[in-house]
Amino acid sequence: MPETGPDIAQEAVTRDKLLARAPYSLEDRQKNECLIRIIREQLKVARCNNRYIDHYFSRQGIDIDALLRPEDVPYIPVQMFKHFDLRTCPEQEVAKVLQSSGTTGGTPSRIPLDKSTTLNQIKALKTILSDYLGKNRKIFLVIDHEGINRPEMAFSARTAGVRGLSIYAKKTFYLLREEEGKLVLNMPVIRDIVENYSHEDVYAFGFTYIIWTVFFEQLKKEGIRFSFDKFTLFHSGGWKKMKDLAVSKETFSATIAGVFGTGSGNILDFYGMAEQTGIIFVDCACGNKHVPAFSQVIIRDPFTMEPCDPGKTGLIEVMSILADSYYDQAVLTEDLGMLIGVDDCPCGRMGKYFRFVSRIEKAEIRGCGDTFRESR
Amino acid sequence: MRRYVSGVALMITCYLANGKFKTETYQDFEEIAREVNTGREVLAELPLDAIIKILDALGKKILKNPEVNTLPGVSYISLWLRRENLDRICRINYADKLYLGGFCKNETHFRMMAQPRGIVCHWIAANMPTLGFFSIVQAVLSKNGSIVKMPTEYVPLILSLLRELPAISVDYEGRTYTGKSILGAIALVTFEGKSADASEKFSLAADCRIIFGGSGAVRAIARLPCRDHCETIIFGPKYSFAIFDREYIESEVFKKSLDLFVRDVAVFNQMACSSPHVLFLEKSRYPVDEIVSWLHDAFERLPAALRTQEISTSLSARIINARATYLLSDGKNCVASRDLGWTILFDQETCLEEPIQGKCIFTKEINTVDEVIPLVNHKIQTISVGILDPSKREDFARQVTSRGADRIVIPGTMHDFTLPWDGIMTLNRLVRWVVLRDN
Repeated sequence: MPETGPDIAQEAVTRDKLLARAPYSLEDRQKNECLIRIIREQLKVARCNNRYIDHYFSRQGIDIDALLRPEDVPYIPVQMFKHFDLRTCPEQEVAKVLQSSGTTGGTPSRIPLDKSTTLNQIKALKTILSDYLGKNRKIFLVIDHEGINRPEMAFSARTAGVRGLSIYAKKTFYLLREEEGKLVLNMPVIRDIVENYSHEDVYAFGFTYIIWTVFFEQLKKEGIRFSFDKFTLFHSGGWKKMKDLAVSKETFSATIAGVFGTGSGNILDFYGMAEQTGIIFVDCACGNKHVPAFSQVIIRDPFTMEPCDPGKTGLIEVMSILADSYYDQAVLTEDLGMLIGVDDCPCGRMGKYFRFVSRIEKAEIRGCGDTFRESR
Repeated sequence: MRRYVSGVALMITCYLANGKFKTETYQDFEEIAREVNTGREVLAELPLDAIIKILDALGKKILKNPEVNTLPGVSYISLWLRRENLDRICRINYADKLYLGGFCKNETHFRMMAQPRGIVCHWIAANMPTLGFFSIVQAVLSKNGSIVKMPTEYVPLILSLLRELPAISVDYEGRTYTGKSILGAIALVTFEGKSADASEKFSLAADCRIIFGGSGAVRAIARLPCRDHCETIIFGPKYSFAIFDREYIESEVFKKSLDLFVRDVAVFNQMACSSPHVLFLEKSRYPVDEIVSWLHDAFERLPAALRTQEISTSLSARIINARATYLLSDGKNCVASRDLGWTILFDQETCLEEPIQGKCIFTKEINTVDEVIPLVNHKIQTISVGILDPSKREDFARQVTSRGADRIVIPGTMHDFTLPWDGIMTLNRLVRWVVLRDN
């Protein structure tokens, strides 16, 4: 079992020690003390190894040793991964470059990974999942088609979810298949699951929008329902489209819980991104997303950029100590969230807890002020 | 016909018609147009000088109204409505104000008169709260009726300005005229711009269309069906910038003009077509870093209402990304406020940059002002030019206007609403020039 205990800030805390702990066992204040020490050292290396990051720090007059709180750490907007090489390790140590297409397509983010970063990400994800799933491996149902996990597929939120969550799988089933470019139910597999795995320990992952518009719709048509004894669904992404369909998180959870014959407390939405692979912020039974020990979340006011008080919507900044190979210490997302509280969620998990609100609406430039380019 | 259909989403909301401030819903523009037509006939009977006197009184009245006089742009409206200014605008557009009152003799064999076109339908863009008001006044000065499609968020402001009209009365040549005669010719509406049906009906109600907006909006509206005789006046998407030469930068006026320039950046939070996005600085004895530090101070000296303006989260993201790009890049830099209030992005690349808005000014050092001339095209509206030598300034102006720029102004005046605007004499286009050949 991961180590627990309140005195961690008293000792020289290493990243490995934080990764070995129960992920939600540290009070926020203690965690911040541990994180900032580790981050300061990581930033010094990052600055030495990357001239863009060096520009970023020197032009803002940042003295790394003077960074005392996580909110002082300079954030880099997530879009910068599309335009700059944010590698912070020597080039020869990069084992692979993860290219994330994101959900909106366009230029992909490029995230260089070395061995230690990949290992840390796996450890972190295991630690987080163990808090929700326990220790044992389980049957893993992917509510997507098998092609999504092909190595040649561009990395996206969907592939990240499948690959990341499969670390707890003892056997994996894909519940959808592709037919003429469309997703349809993978009926032989679904029948097999219903007949042979209903009494097993099962967990599943799917993209929220696909679960609702493809999987649920087609199951309804076919009149199929599952009845699992022990079941947990992790789902993520597509909330903009769900909002357009006027489907709330509550409606989604209750409806999909019915499909799997489980309670809505086992339908867990999570928030995560390719730029911070290894960390997912999973809903607890109270509907709050929790921040593990090796990570921090800051909600920033979209004008003042100062951290928001609980209850106020702001930009979500995610912080992490997992990466040696790229700048993931502080990444400012284009998502809006709301801090709900700190250390006092009724679920018992320590640290900050927050809720995802929406993606930033990418509005066009308003009014008659416009591009300088002449139209054709 | 006014129709209230229960259970059916009505498409047009009218806030002012027939001189009454009352919110009603309609399914077409027939009744609104009829009321505006009746109102514009009353307006047409008013002498132009009486109309100008009423508008002048309106400017003074709104300045005394504590509910509106603190709103952004209202004090400028008051100045703009001064009699001398409106007189000047009419003279520039009509050559002689008498043309609007009847047939006048001129150098030709016949007499000429400026007749209003009829009903002007205005599509008002969402970037400037007071834009709709300026558009209405121009229609009034050409004795046209107006149906104005306003962005919903600005309806209260325009209504609060127009509410002052009924109480105004002026004496002119022994007769008394009231603001009610103007108000009756104006209708204010909102409807969903995406509604093809409503947009078509609106367009077909017009004898003249005035369209303000970005590229997409202008193109879509211009494509709507309209009556054969309908005139269309487009104030489309435009881009503005500023340029200062070495002599100007090294002169005594420069530092003061930076304050004025920063005001030009800040007004309308850089969302107007006349808002500058790039500042070109000819190389001078001052390094660009030093000028940037003066700009920094000028931004911080802005009045609170201009310094801190509400921005959308989408604009926040654009500003954050631009700042980070310039801070990370080789050969670029960024100086900005701690909040997202203002941003100076600087490099040495001689080019125009896509607007970010929200007081983000690209600042570029150039070898000579001539380098900028090839960048000018028909999308360029206003150039704030700091060149002291009059002949050099005029030569620059001739070259950039021949390439497409519309207005060459001085710092602090980029948004002054003077005619011509976008190269258009609006009032002149709002009338039909008719002739009478005498026996």
